[in-house]
Amino acid sequence: MLPLPSEDKKVSPYLAFYIINSMQIGIVVLSFERFLVKEAGQDAWISVLIAGVATHIILWMTFQITIKGENDIAVIHKDLFGKWIGGLLTLLLITYLMTLFIMIMRAYIDVIQVWMFPHLQTWYMAFVLAILVYLYFTGGFRVMVGLCVLSFMLTIPLLMLKAFPLKSAHLSYLLPVMEHSPAEILSGAKKMSVIFSGFEVVLFCYPFFKQGIRAHKWAQLGAAFTTSVYLAAVLVSLLYFSEGQLEKTLWPTLTLWKIVDFPFLERFEYAGIAIWLFVMLPNLCLYIWAVTRGLKQLFSIKQKKSILFLLLLAIIASSFITDGVQIRNFSATIDRISFFILFAYIPFIYLYQWIWQKVRKNK
Amino acid sequence: MRRNKRSSSAFHSSEIGKLIDQCCKSADFVTFQLKDSPFFISYFQTLVDKKVLHRDILTILKDKQFISLEDMKHAIQVEDLVLTTELSSVKQKLMQGNIIIYQQEAQPSCLLIPAFLQENRQVSIPETEYSVVGPKEAFVESLDTNINLVRKRIPVPEFQIKEFSVGKLSKTRVAVAYIEGIADEENVNTVIQRITDIGYDQIIDSSFINQMIADNKNSPFPQLVDTERPDRVASVLMEGKVAILVDGSPSAITGPATLGEFFSAFEDYVTVWNIASAFRLIRFLAITFSVLSTPLYVAVLTYHYEMIPQDLLTTLISSRAGIPFPPLLEAIILEWTIELLREAGARLPTKVGQTIGIVGGIVIGTAAVQAGLTSNVLLIVVALSALASFTTPVYQVSNAIRLIRFPFLIFAQLLGLLGVAACTAIVVAHLLKLKSLGRPFLEPVYPIRLKDMKDALIRLPFNQQTSRPLQTRTDNKIKFRPHSSPPDKRDIDE
Repeated sequence: MLPLPSEDKKVSPYLAFYIINSMQIGIVVLSFERFLVKEAGQDAWISVLIAGVATHIILWMTFQITIKGENDIAVIHKDLFGKWIGGLLTLLLITYLMTLFIMIMRAYIDVIQVWMFPHLQTWYMAFVLAILVYLYFTGGFRVMVGLCVLSFMLTIPLLMLKAFPLKSAHLSYLLPVMEHSPAEILSGAKKMSVIFSGFEVVLFCYPFFKQGIRAHKWAQLGAAFTTSVYLAAVLVSLLYFSEGQLEKTLWPTLTLWKIVDFPFLERFEYAGIAIWLFVMLPNLCLYIWAVTRGLKQLFSIKQKKSILFLLLLAIIASSFITDGVQIRNFSATIDRISFFILFAYIPFIYLYQWIWQKVRKNK
Repeated sequence: MRRNKRSSSAFHSSEIGKLIDQCCKSADFVTFQLKDSPFFISYFQTLVDKKVLHRDILTILKDKQFISLEDMKHAIQVEDLVLTTELSSVKQKLMQGNIIIYQQEAQPSCLLIPAFLQENRQVSIPETEYSVVGPKEAFVESLDTNINLVRKRIPVPEFQIKEFSVGKLSKTRVAVAYIEGIADEENVNTVIQRITDIGYDQIIDSSFINQMIADNKNSPFPQLVDTERPDRVASVLMEGKVAILVDGSPSAITGPATLGEFFSAFEDYVTVWNIASAFRLIRFLAITFSVLSTPLYVAVLTYHYEMIPQDLLTTLISSRAGIPFPPLLEAIILEWTIELLREAGARLPTKVGQTIGIVGGIVIGTAAVQAGLTSNVLLIVVALSALASFTTPVYQVSNAIRLIRFPFLIFAQLLGLLGVAACTAIVVAHLLKLKSLGRPFLEPVYPIRLKDMKDALIRLPFNQQTSRPLQTRTDNKIKFRPHSSPPDKRDIDE
């Protein structure tokens, strides 16, 4: 068990807003509408709202777990389940985070390969991304949170581009409301809830907040902001594309960026994908940071060393995934695991911890 | 007579005697015995003010006969006389232009009379940080004059100076200035600690100190502001920062600094707040343009020409038609040419420099385009971005801005727009890691401090500037309490 981080390594609670927000918004924003529309059609926006509410609840549980445990998840695991089972759970959790890291890295490279550079070697781009991640990583947690803040500021203007497709929006595409059955809408929400994942990182970074309890409020605000971003994205896509079109469009956001035209600039998606780097970096950095923290808690491996190994692993692994079909299969598997972790594992830990603490108090 | 000789040889074997003997090897060292008395006078004639020597010392010594140095000390009307037997202080004072009077005996005590010859440049107009309106005084090479320029702007006893001697050989006087009770003690201690840790042998200019006490010594970005304006120094001191003045250097260093501070000119405070804010924003835009424009040109023309609208594309193609180089080479050649002109202009005497400017700007530029070596568009872009880099009010940072363009160009060639984004990410990572005297460099952007935004990207009016920046960690946060005037309830035309 590590000592808690010293005061100068900690960040102010309001930064939880940016951490949660930038962790939740990632590569999936570019492509999520398609899965959603398959399930819930024009009522997809209702699914987003339902998933948003569910996220708030799970986020609340996540914070409760860490607030009660007063440390990160590795220590909580150990307290609850003992050294071996707890350690195994932590190991599984960080394996999941590492897989997520590789997945989003590969998915971003895929977007680049499809839209910008068809002949770009995967390992080459993965190497560039790894170097960037390493640069932020060596600055420590505070620098990575700074990246979250700056990436928020850099990418918020991208939301304004949603105004361009609205010029040719059809309100009738949204009608009739609630045509789909609640079951369909819920299965859409199930797809969507996975897309809201990313806040699991709180399980690891909670000790780094100056006042963890106050951070919770900001985290909830961050999640609410994410929901509104997704809601805006899905609404604009629904208004612009017909349902049939949307089901066939892999990256609706990128297609929408094609419509953007300024007197000096067309085909905005090139610039958009480049700027998207700043959306990806906080994701990549904090995931791998959580993994190295977990490894340090479990095996006392120095973060300085484990990062090099993990990045190398990510480069090799991502270059083994060769085409889009593999990526989508891979991400479908991960989605299932994500869903399990969010809606089964976190509530389980929450309940278990609750009962455990009750029992201990009575003793 | 014999006794005298013995004491003389004893003197030469004493430590002070050895020092005098050592100095005697130098041609500008003078030693002579006063007429009819056992006292000797020694000094460096090149360091000593002859007026003081003749008017205040020799006339008195000639008129009277003195028995002891103690008597002499009372008779001579010069401030700061010291009577000592200590070798170190004698050595130091002698080198600082003191005249010493002593007897040749085994344990000589010396009377040290300060008579330092000050050769000063007149206080003149600031040249690198010129401003159209506002005060027009700049620091000079004398530490005392510089402190005077600052102190007269802060006439309070809390304004304090700590002086150090830095450099094994140069023994430069370095002064740390701050206002007690406003400046954070930790900042002051950090500065003092880092200055006393310097082990380098020569400190010729304040920029030596600046580089040696910087938090990251390899960063192209200066982490402490280097200024030649006493008004600017006085102003930041009153905000709770610390200033370092160095003897022999016409510029002062202030810190802790933020990146935004390097883009604020003192003129911003002299003009009305809205105009000042607009100019500050223009400056930020100019810097962004300066760094990104050429790399974007290279990226777009190499990989993403689809991004350019058709009408604009026609213009670009017609200007680039027949140019034998790829965009990267074209851009690097032009950027290099501009840097070359700037470097040549900076090294040459002023009048020749102007000629070079005309030759470079007009002749080479036009000729290069007509010869079909570069395109008109790129020439405009490069010239504008060079111009934009000079909008930074602090000179040191404009160098950094111009230099980081080259890695951007290479990244743009490697990965197009993605490369530009990657290089931006690297610079952002670097800036996020940077600290100035241990305080975050990107404040108030990160960590976000809305209160400090009042004087960062924009400058709000003075009645809004009620608190000192949080970044200085000052305990005395309130600058002033504005009068709260009751709201005007009268109607228009009442």
